[in-house]
Amino acid sequence: MEQECADNSVVLCRSCDLVIRKRALPSGVRALCPRCHTTLYDTPYCSINGMLALCLTALLFLLPANVLPVLELHFLGSVRTTTIIEGAMAVSNQGYWIVGIAVLVSAVIAPALLIWSVFCQILIIKYRLNSPFFRAVLKRLLSYQGLLAQLSMLEIYMISILVSVFQLSDFADIFLGMGTFCFGMLFLVTLFLQREYNLEHMWSVLDE
Amino acid sequence: MSELNNKMQGITLGLTPCPSCGKLSVHSDIHCKRCGKALVLRDYSSLHKSWALLITATILLFPANLYPITMLVNRGQIRHDTIFTGIVHLVESDMFPIAVILFTASILVPMLKIVGLTAYLIAISFRLPISKQKLMIGFHIIEWIGRWSMLDLFVISITAALVNMGQLLDAKPAPAATAFALVILLTQLAAKVLDTRLLWDRLESKDDANGNT
Ligand SMILES: [Zn+2]
Repeated sequence: MEQECADNSVVLCRSCDLVIRKRALPSGVRALCPRCHTTLYDTPYCSINGMLALCLTALLFLLPANVLPVLELHFLGSVRTTTIIEGAMAVSNQGYWIVGIAVLVSAVIAPALLIWSVFCQILIIKYRLNSPFFRAVLKRLLSYQGLLAQLSMLEIYMISILVSVFQLSDFADIFLGMGTFCFGMLFLVTLFLQREYNLEHMWSVLDE
Repeated sequence: MSELNNKMQGITLGLTPCPSCGKLSVHSDIHCKRCGKALVLRDYSSLHKSWALLITATILLFPANLYPITMLVNRGQIRHDTIFTGIVHLVESDMFPIAVILFTASILVPMLKIVGLTAYLIAISFRLPISKQKLMIGFHIIEWIGRWSMLDLFVISITAALVNMGQLLDAKPAPAATAFALVILLTQLAAKVLDTRLLWDRLESKDDANGNT
């Protein structure tokens, strides 16, 4: 019985441990646990080439999004600009380094690692690098994927920029720059990349 | 396969998904065949870890809300704002939508998270007869919206970097910022470490006795 079930015909809900018989799904549909409504699996729509294109685009925007100013403030003739990293530094320098680290990790480090990690995974899969070394690398990258996805908060930073614009427009003139555009693009591309990406499917590559 | 009914759990078959890669494994294998991670049928210690994190977060929620989170100097006048007074100020200056966004992210979400997680942990620890379905839906919501509390901290970091022109106009974070960051971190961890399957195990026997789910 045990051996019989440990194949692909059955799936366990990771939230409530219910045993569910796996069925083929029409595309765009996801299977939910009948008992607790946790997502069980969906049809993998990972296209390796599509993800590669999204990844390259994201890498292109990564640097300018981080080094170009995301906001510009004009006040009585003087101009201030800030990048995401400077924002994190500004709070750290005031002694709030926990806040600084939280901002840095969720808006800069985790998204960058996430994109690079997906990029490396795609290269390994696309060029069928099957040596033990690359298998080990892929395994390592996949096991950190969930954590990185949870830590990266580009979408929340995007909303924060908008909230800041409205809040500060009370005091001074606010301008969006090239950095804002690059950051917005990075956010959009990463969003599509994460929709396309399917961790389950990536793991199954290792089974072959 | 005929004994596979709609109530059967993986634990009764000796099956468990790998905690790292999700591959369905036979528990007696000890390690996952795909990624090498140790297999666990149930993580009973997760309940204690989750309680500890949640209690710490609840304590920190007080300084996070009572102390000022930002300090603003405007033409020589210094103003300290707590999360709440900051939002009240936004309402007064007719920025209602922004106030609603910040209220949701900084007050409503952390509170809901703490109340929700407490209900969840109490239900598991003391086997309270609360509907498991409802608890689980609440748990998924908590997992999903928890991240949005970071919004306020991002806004503070942007503001602090942009607005610093001495006595004319200056914005700085204040002590509640660290407490608030820790509340977000600890509540996220409390939800993350918890083995949710415990809820379905512990209440199952009681429900079975009643003859329904
Ligand atoms: Zn379930």
